[in-house]
Amino acid sequence: MIGPSLKPVPRIMIMAASVMIIILGYTYLAHKQHIKNPKDKTIPTWVQLKEGVEKIFEKNKRSGERWIVVDAQASARRLFLGLLWGIAGAVAVGLAIGCFPVMEAVFAPSLAILAKLPPTAALALFFVMLGTGTSMFVGIIVVGILPVLAQSIYLAIKDVPRELIDKATTLGASRPELVWNVIVFHVLPQIINAIRLQIGPALVYLIAAEYATAHIGFGYRLRLQARLVNMDVVYPYLAILIIFGFLMDGVLKYAMNRLCRWYEYEGR
Amino acid sequence: MKKVFVWLSFFAVLSFLLSASPVRAQEYPAFTLAWSEYPSWSTFGVLHEAGVINGALGKVGPVEEKWGVDIVLEEMDYDSTIQLYASGQADAVCITNMDILSPSLSLNSVAVLPTSTSFGADALIVSDKIKDFNDLKKVNVAGLDLSVSSYTFDANLELQGENPDQYRFVNMDPATAALQFQQGALDAIVVWNPFVLDTLEKRSDSRVMFDSTSIPGEIIDMVVVSQASLAKPQGKAFASAVIDAFYELNKMLADPAEGDDTLIALGEKFSNLGLQSMRKVVKQTKFYSTPEEALQLLEGEQLKATMKKVVAYCVKREIVEQAPMVTFGTQQQGNLLFDSSYIKNVMATPKE
Repeated sequence: MIGPSLKPVPRIMIMAASVMIIILGYTYLAHKQHIKNPKDKTIPTWVQLKEGVEKIFEKNKRSGERWIVVDAQASARRLFLGLLWGIAGAVAVGLAIGCFPVMEAVFAPSLAILAKLPPTAALALFFVMLGTGTSMFVGIIVVGILPVLAQSIYLAIKDVPRELIDKATTLGASRPELVWNVIVFHVLPQIINAIRLQIGPALVYLIAAEYATAHIGFGYRLRLQARLVNMDVVYPYLAILIIFGFLMDGVLKYAMNRLCRWYEYEGR
Repeated sequence: MKKVFVWLSFFAVLSFLLSASPVRAQEYPAFTLAWSEYPSWSTFGVLHEAGVINGALGKVGPVEEKWGVDIVLEEMDYDSTIQLYASGQADAVCITNMDILSPSLSLNSVAVLPTSTSFGADALIVSDKIKDFNDLKKVNVAGLDLSVSSYTFDANLELQGENPDQYRFVNMDPATAALQFQQGALDAIVVWNPFVLDTLEKRSDSRVMFDSTSIPGEIIDMVVVSQASLAKPQGKAFASAVIDAFYELNKMLADPAEGDDTLIALGEKFSNLGLQSMRKVVKQTKFYSTPEEALQLLEGEQLKATMKKVVAYCVKREIVEQAPMVTFGTQQQGNLLFDSSYIKNVMATPKE
């Protein structure tokens, strides 16, 4: 960055102010909408939002379950399975095409094509191949994130300095040693960063699929409540997604600090 | 010298803006109608294509000119039209008598025009495997939850003396459910047209187990205007213009010379089923094609019983937290008002 870094106090104050602008902006919008129609539900006031939050967390009269518990369980299972397979696949494919020219020729073109495919527009394809069970949600996340993730790993490997590889080879490293001890560790920080950036898209794919076919989960609740114009439920759900995103980000940052102590980067 | 030039151009722009505004004031007041593709709602899209009304802002067709309003058409998917209407960004919306209940709690609404009723357009389709209700209990029945689909399902089961809670109705987008059923992944779906006809055509071992013909006049497609918009200057003329235009299209449909073309135009975006199937579609989605038919519905006793039943269903299924106040006639209170006076107004106004 250019210029001296800010002192802690003004820095925190400026950061707080920028968040306040979002909160005040929303409050103003809600206020304006309620002048027009005092009973408006499309941009709920904070009081209305509080009622919505209560609805989300209280035991449902009919089913005896809490919306947030059942939805979070269902969506989290789909998301984490999708992330797991997507990341595992991407690391395997990314390493393979980054390290071995044959693999590059086999996988790189199809990856480049798949990376440009918006899976949300090809939902029908996933229904046909994977039905509408958990595997469909997992599949759509995998197809959504794997190509991009594999490509970033591939590009990161191409950036591994030639001299590192030459040095290791000169010192007598075997092929597997070269891949594991030099390349994997060198690109690990980039892998973690790429995963951080793919959490958002993974959520988008999951919600879109749940919008179309799910009787439980975040996407289901969001669509249903939006159709009933219960935005007091919809916005808290979105807030929960944002908080979840931050948590995931935090976890991955922490993992990066623990696993990649040799790596220096600005956001540390 | 430079400064003078800046000031001159400033005044030039200002005077241009000022001179522009009176022209705008002379234009007709604009009202937005949000609609989605459905046989009796696509009428507005067809009317626009036929030049009877002009859905663009600032442009008017003959019907709009007659009533002195500018109808702006906003086409989007059904869920979005409801939100656009509820947020006050649209003055009117094409919606069913069931789905309007929740928005009407926050935005007092007036049903000014019933356009059609489902008479077979919502159906439970099953495969060969399902012989009776006992078989049905064992499988997942897929359809859009808390919608006219789940209503059709529950109402029919209750008519047969069955308890809907003993069945497994699972939420699925109708298009997805139809696709899954056609591929053999499901054995029972509740969907609406065009998916009903499409599915029956594409899977040979499928049949309709029950449909909305057993609950005639209970699922009503209509045009709803917010009370606030009706209170705006020319608001009532807007409602009248929409009604007038709708009956213009029905006349086109009834006309032997252009009826088929109009029907094909109606079906074009809605489905790719062709003329024969579209004939079936409009039988299963019965249009209230004349003012008389609409008045019969709006002023009849059956509508009151229907709305009581639909409201009770929505409360039971927690679609609404409290029952909206549904009123009939011309009283200006209540969340949802069925008002026949706008249709009467159109009937009383001579043709130009």
